[in-house]
Amino acid sequence: MHELDEQLRELIPRLRRFAVSLTRQSSSADDLVQASLERAINRWADKRPEGDLRAWLFSILYRQFLDAHRRSRRYTRMLEFFTGRDDTQPSVERTVMAQSTLQAFDQLSTEQRALLLWVSVEGLSYKEVADILDVPIGTVMSRLSRARQALRQLSDGEITSPSLRILK
Amino acid sequence: MISLPPSERDLHAYVDHQLLESDRRLLETWLAAHPDVAAQVQAWQQDAQHLRASLSGALQQPTNPDLDPALIRQRIKRQSRRHLATAAVLLIAVSAGGLGGWQARQMTLSTVLPMTDAMQAYRLFAQNGILPADYNVQGNGDMQAWLDRYFTQAHRLPDLSQAGFKAVSGRLLTTDQGAAAMVLYEDQQGRRISFYIRPPGPQNNLLPRGSSHSDGLQAEYWSGGGYNYAMVSPSDEPVTQMLKQTVGF
Repeated sequence: MHELDEQLRELIPRLRRFAVSLTRQSSSADDLVQASLERAINRWADKRPEGDLRAWLFSILYRQFLDAHRRSRRYTRMLEFFTGRDDTQPSVERTVMAQSTLQAFDQLSTEQRALLLWVSVEGLSYKEVADILDVPIGTVMSRLSRARQALRQLSDGEITSPSLRILK
Repeated sequence: MISLPPSERDLHAYVDHQLLESDRRLLETWLAAHPDVAAQVQAWQQDAQHLRASLSGALQQPTNPDLDPALIRQRIKRQSRRHLATAAVLLIAVSAGGLGGWQARQMTLSTVLPMTDAMQAYRLFAQNGILPADYNVQGNGDMQAWLDRYFTQAHRLPDLSQAGFKAVSGRLLTTDQGAAAMVLYEDQQGRRISFYIRPPGPQNNLLPRGSSHSDGLQAEYWSGGGYNYAMVSPSDEPVTQMLKQTVGF
């Protein structure tokens, strides 16, 4: 009855991988995947994608993540206001430790991680990525270029954050 | 068709296999003659490869059954059914005054029998069986626990087992006095008695013990623990007598 379910099942490992790369924790990543699958199933009836199902699912998951992230940031700011602390910043040590590609990847911004995963790992076309982000292809290309430079520099350990200098 | 020397975008498109075949060959020839650019391109290719390799493990996670589409589909269905049930309850909101709208206003001065909403609820759910219950007692299911979820420190459900009546189902309702619940008791013969509970309303209209009749129904009502209660049963039945004795009216 649901030819979609079979296709979804096949793509779940990819969705989970993408979700982990966004959330950096597997437990909240699966919550994100679950919410995205719910949304996809609900939307399938009236808004089924024209092109690649995978790109469509990535776009749903990415939106959900951004929404949740925005909400949690607001929540964090509120917490900070009451506790006067900010525990969400990655530590300075983490910045220095970025030697391997994966560690470098983890340092990138959300959008840069998503871009590189879509293009370099999943092999989506620039057009598909442009549709997901709702920006022109040219914009995708220049953002991708910046993401790649950043990854390169972080992998080489070229970038030291200003806060690191203060510490030393 | 790309132009040479290539733009940075063309180089990225090359790394990402997004150039036309003819452009790709053109660029490869050009790169062969320009080793520094070639090294840069190679570094990007390597990063991409490393990324693919280090992220490939993430595809091998053990399956999480919660993520199965069929299961998610069921969950969605269950949720929407619950929404539907809630919507139905709102539609069949019981009016404590017995009548709604302007009619109720016209009648504010005339006496309205207390707890007529309990009788209305009995008619809707015990006699007409309009909607399925929100909670059914299964096995040793605890009706009291279900009720305690919604009404704190309310009087305990009366034990009518001596008379052969068991609590079988519960239903939540909205009334113009606040949220209400009705618990239905049934005996072997299929006779029904309801226990009805709701807040006393905005006027804190607490009731002395009493009873009322209306259209073949009998209601015993009282207040306590911050709520109003009623036991409703068909009148002219030995049941009424039994109730008076068991619950101690």
